[in-house]
Amino acid sequence: MAQKIRLLYMEGVSPLRSQTVYHAVGYAMKPDTPNTIILVSPNAPYVCIGYHQDMQKEVDLDYCAQHNLPVYRREVGGGAVYLDKGQLFTQWIFHKEDLPASLEERFAFYIDPIVQTYRELGIPAEYRPINDIHVKGKKIGGTGAAQMGIAEVLVGSLMFTFDKKTMAQVLKVPSEKMRDKVFESLEAYMTTMTEQLGFTPDRAMVKDLYLQKVSAAFGGAEIVEGEWTPAEEAMAQEIDARFTSDEWLYQKGRLQQPALKIHQDVYLVEAAFKARGGLIRVIARLREGRIDDVAISGDFTLLPVFAVGALEQSLRGIAATPATLKAKIEEAYYRLNIQSPGVTPADFTTAIMNAVMAQQPA
Amino acid sequence: MIFYGCDIPEELTYDVERDVWIRFEGDIAVLGMTDVAQTRCGKIAAISFRPVGKKVAQGKPLATIESAKWVGPFPAPFSCEIVATNEEGFARNRLLANTEPYTAGWLVKVRPLHWEAEHGHLVTGAEAVARYQERIKALNVRCFRCVDKVEE
Repeated sequence: MAQKIRLLYMEGVSPLRSQTVYHAVGYAMKPDTPNTIILVSPNAPYVCIGYHQDMQKEVDLDYCAQHNLPVYRREVGGGAVYLDKGQLFTQWIFHKEDLPASLEERFAFYIDPIVQTYRELGIPAEYRPINDIHVKGKKIGGTGAAQMGIAEVLVGSLMFTFDKKTMAQVLKVPSEKMRDKVFESLEAYMTTMTEQLGFTPDRAMVKDLYLQKVSAAFGGAEIVEGEWTPAEEAMAQEIDARFTSDEWLYQKGRLQQPALKIHQDVYLVEAAFKARGGLIRVIARLREGRIDDVAISGDFTLLPVFAVGALEQSLRGIAATPATLKAKIEEAYYRLNIQSPGVTPADFTTAIMNAVMAQQPA
Repeated sequence: MIFYGCDIPEELTYDVERDVWIRFEGDIAVLGMTDVAQTRCGKIAAISFRPVGKKVAQGKPLATIESAKWVGPFPAPFSCEIVATNEEGFARNRLLANTEPYTAGWLVKVRPLHWEAEHGHLVTGAEAVARYQERIKALNVRCFRCVDKVEE
């Protein structure tokens, strides 16, 4: 007999509750608790950071305070993200025996109904292992997994809209130039249902479509809208208190993320190198081991004046290896008759490779 | 014993369900992730340890592990008091449990609190190998170790 799955449908809850609800159902799970899907959205925007991130290092707290954006730490990994009612979060809280054992298969299983929903809407979404969803090379939402008590938890979202401008504002970045690059990269490599369709699809219709796809994935499981139990609600209140405590929010971050992950294949990194003729700063966007975009600045002298732009242009698309970079830079030096006292092609190569090496392995 | 790429040292003791190995040093137990556990978890991104001196009930987390794709507990195989953590080792190289799970990649040292009542599920030697062979087949896991290191 096909199983029953409980649905908790909670549109328009507080930002805090939109995070604590799945932790509460997870930690309150008992052997007889039904597998549960929570569809939830917040009634106001907020910032959510990954379990091991350092809030003060990752988030522009002044900006958040000025714009009344609360910041919460989730017990799921990954990076800081700006969230609002433009996303309908799809949270699964399941018994481990009812999900595939391997994480890779579990993500594929969890993501498939989201992909199928998008496709039925006419959006050519694809599962991008291990845990991304892409549309023609752009990400339309990521996912995460965690174990909370006996519960296996999977989280993701149906992405109606995403405010890329505010997302770029809430991150703490080393320079405004980097912030511009973050926004450019989000524009280039993230998408939404609204962008893909040219309009925002009806929320209730998308929700129903998604639940049909989930039911089919579980062999025709019945998905029954239900309520949460007093024990789950009590757990939520306990977690509300923890999630708003300074001790939880300001705990020292252990996650070292020198690179900003835009999606599974795209990273944004900033690095510097002190050459004899001045400091070279590099912001590089790396895509599958290649230089997708690069911005070079600093207090060095480089002539002719247009040569920096020409150098940047010549590096786009090439493999991010020292030999390839140096050869390309030397070629540009020769072609443009570049003069740069105290700064050599090897120095530029080192500066760019410092950025490349900062990319954290996925 | 290597089975489907997974190393199962027979001299260690295991909580197979929780994927924890145990090595006894007098009345202290050294605990770590098994090869199966580190493979399923994937490359570790960060670990937060419960503090030394903390008493942890059986099944509750001694540490929380974050990998590129998952966050979860490193569970206590029996109720215990934490006497040391390998925080320093992981600060130097966060992939220690991925590269050397049974040696340098140990996670915590503990003193068991209710040993007599809570050690019945632990196995060692040929029994441990047999149980792990079943588990590895059931999970369809093939173990592998990270070869790269993280530089500070």
